[in-house]
Amino acid sequence: MHKMRVALLINTVLMASLVCMDTGCRTKAGGWRWPWQKDRSMELGASGEDMLSPELLTGVDIPGVYDESGALVSGARFEDTLQQVQGVGFSAVYFAYDSYVLPPNEIAKVDAVGQHLIASPNHVLVVEGHCDERGSNEYNLALGENRALAVRAYLVNMGIEPDRIQTSSYGEEKPAVMGTGEGVWSLNRRGEFVLFQR
Amino acid sequence: MLKMLSVTSFVCLVVMSALFCDASNPPVITVRKSGANKAAVSLTALKADGVYGRLFVQTLQNDLKLSGWFEVLPSGRSGSITVQGVVTDAGGGVQSNLRVTWPGKAFNWARNSAGRQEVRNQAHKLADEMVRLIAGEVGIASTKIVFVNRRGANNADIYMCDADGGSMMQLTRDNTAAVGPRWAPNGRDIFYTNFVKGYPTICRLINLGRSRRMLAPFKGLNTGAAVSPDGGRIALILSYQGNPELYIMEVASGRLSRMTKTAHGVEASPCWSPDGRSIVYVSDVSRRPNLYLVDVASRQSRRLTFRNTENVNPDWSAKGGIVYATKGGGGWQIAVMDPARGESSMTYVTKDGGYEHPSWAANGRHIVCNRASTLYILDTMGDPSVRLINIAGNWMSPDWSER
Repeated sequence: MHKMRVALLINTVLMASLVCMDTGCRTKAGGWRWPWQKDRSMELGASGEDMLSPELLTGVDIPGVYDESGALVSGARFEDTLQQVQGVGFSAVYFAYDSYVLPPNEIAKVDAVGQHLIASPNHVLVVEGHCDERGSNEYNLALGENRALAVRAYLVNMGIEPDRIQTSSYGEEKPAVMGTGEGVWSLNRRGEFVLFQR
Repeated sequence: MLKMLSVTSFVCLVVMSALFCDASNPPVITVRKSGANKAAVSLTALKADGVYGRLFVQTLQNDLKLSGWFEVLPSGRSGSITVQGVVTDAGGGVQSNLRVTWPGKAFNWARNSAGRQEVRNQAHKLADEMVRLIAGEVGIASTKIVFVNRRGANNADIYMCDADGGSMMQLTRDNTAAVGPRWAPNGRDIFYTNFVKGYPTICRLINLGRSRRMLAPFKGLNTGAAVSPDGGRIALILSYQGNPELYIMEVASGRLSRMTKTAHGVEASPCWSPDGRSIVYVSDVSRRPNLYLVDVASRQSRRLTFRNTENVNPDWSAKGGIVYATKGGGGWQIAVMDPARGESSMTYVTKDGGYEHPSWAANGRHIVCNRASTLYILDTMGDPSVRLINIAGNWMSPDWSER
């Protein structure tokens, strides 16, 4: 246990120093080389003692990412900088199997969220899309994102400023109800609402 | 007697295999029953001593069986291939002094290795060398498999093991969702999607998990990273411009190129062709998930699959075939196809349902996939499937390294 903590501490210090170092360099062959490839001492054994824990997720891999117009692609996610609003809850909206069409009987729930955003101009929203456990995990991540986007499109159509609504997807990775069968699946194919204070 | 090496049939097999790989011929996917066409190896004259010596021999014996090209004879029987010599415990590891002989040929193998993992690695290397020199095929014993252990809602981590299921290692300790780990061609880096930040970001686990960095923490969805065979480009799924689309990121410049424009569909699971000119991916523009192929230079896509209701998780072998999971009347099965001939070349690898998320071994013959919360290795040439992991857990989404 002590050994593990020491290894963790060393790892944290190394990671912190990495952030201060240069972010890699191009080799003569045109390939990409990372700072730690020059420094073998940074290679801690990948044993169970050195598992990567959340605090060891630091820094970006490629410093600047640009789209085809040359514009820098930025993150600027609400989750990174804003405080979540406590005490305000909204009902999840539910979807049909393999569908990202907002069902007509779910629209009243989205209307309620829209009314809240209109009444609370300092609140911004993340719509979180989810899927049931069936099918490919990777496809379900994309499907969940499109569910969140369908909800967002409805809110934007209501007149909410587009930059007040971001989307996120957990695919099938964060079910509301564990288990199997349509009774469970229908509760997991959903969009959830998370408010942030700006 | 049938199982004894028949030199002519073995030569035929090798010649046929060579034909399959010939660039002038279209790649051929073979799913056939050839369990009897194995070269017989005798380990009778291989003397092992000590704990590590026995570990070495057990590992070698298992690797030769798993390779699919050899039959290891029971002790006392002599075969046309022999491994002779001694493996002795020395300095917390083994010292090996071996000679491998087969009709008309031989090679020597003398190594020292310290520690349990090094002993196993040395046995893996010897097995791969025997596959390469005797069978003329790509050995897979030294390759690794990365996968997810999903414990519950938003609670998973990345693990890795050797091709024989041994030396399992936990690489992350996040206890948050983790999706789709994939090896980079260097066999050292792993890309996957994690939720440590509370939203999906692509991460690179560097040098077998010794450190990691975020690749894409943009708005919306960031997932599906697959590194091109030359290592210079990464195919990924992003939604920062609208809905999920397939992009290519150039590693050196950070420049993105958008490959798809499907306002009413989503893309997922990109995988490069061996020549780096095309990407096979999943799209649901046809309303159900199917496989599509995009030509990177022209950005023109075409649909590859029309059969069954869902076709997902494609993996393109360096030997030419695409393996994928397909959902038909019998549930989820594993199928392979030759992309040049299209879906008419589709062949099922499995006989019943419940299999998902296939990934090729470097030999283009074996496939790892998940079924009922554990991982199995399938053989497209007819050997029985092998359960890879016997530890309790919810093991899924395996990816097999190229080296």
